[in-house]
Amino acid sequence: MNIAQVITTINQMQADGVIEGYAIGGVVGATFHLEPVSTLDVDIFVAFRHEPGSLPVSPQPIFTYLAARACHMEGEYVMIAGWPVQFLQLTGPLVEEALADAITVPVGETPARVFTAEHLAAIALQVGRAKDKARLLQFIESGVLDSDRFQAIVARHHLVEAWQRFARQFLNDTP
Amino acid sequence: MTFDLQQILASKRAFRHALAARDIVEKLALLDELRARTLTLRPAQKSGRDSQTLREEPTPYRVDTKSNPS
Repeated sequence: MNIAQVITTINQMQADGVIEGYAIGGVVGATFHLEPVSTLDVDIFVAFRHEPGSLPVSPQPIFTYLAARACHMEGEYVMIAGWPVQFLQLTGPLVEEALADAITVPVGETPARVFTAEHLAAIALQVGRAKDKARLLQFIESGVLDSDRFQAIVARHHLVEAWQRFARQFLNDTP
Repeated sequence: MTFDLQQILASKRAFRHALAARDIVEKLALLDELRARTLTLRPAQKSGRDSQTLREEPTPYRVDTKSNPS
């Protein structure tokens, strides 16, 4: 079980032209900015090579590529180096922007593309489950967020109301 | 050792900051270990469905922010 090997495999897949770009999100992405928290899978957001006018994008080339490298499917996951990896298409403007603004972080000798802390926090706010709110609190308490940048993302993606609710619920002394 | 709650909370914050400040290689190795531990501790599955993978509920990443009140 080796998450660094997952990153190496994804980089190679990008170098081989299967995907146009990627960024790590979810808990593993958050680990690049925060303390490690136990997780069971890896969320990889991918941009596919897509010719204008071609058929809708399919993740099949990813599965075919990885199957040829001894990775197998487990439900919606692909098992890579012992980790279940979920490949996610860009589902809206926020994650599209997050992928475009992703940063490169060296993991030893290997570069990894990762969402910024501000985008991960905004995505957590948007998704809004209890564990996402807990993660957003982690980001806030850790002090890693650039507040201006985060607020700009919140405003740009129509999350101001959600943020105000969150702030009332978790950041103020009075409900 | 102390029973002062504020001191305990401050100590926990400091520990979390120290963990967060570790090298990313070390932090990812910790994720490997945490997952291995979770798999070791999980209860034996009675059903034969998907033998090896313990799953989380997939994150419902949203498409349209305006139509999703949270």
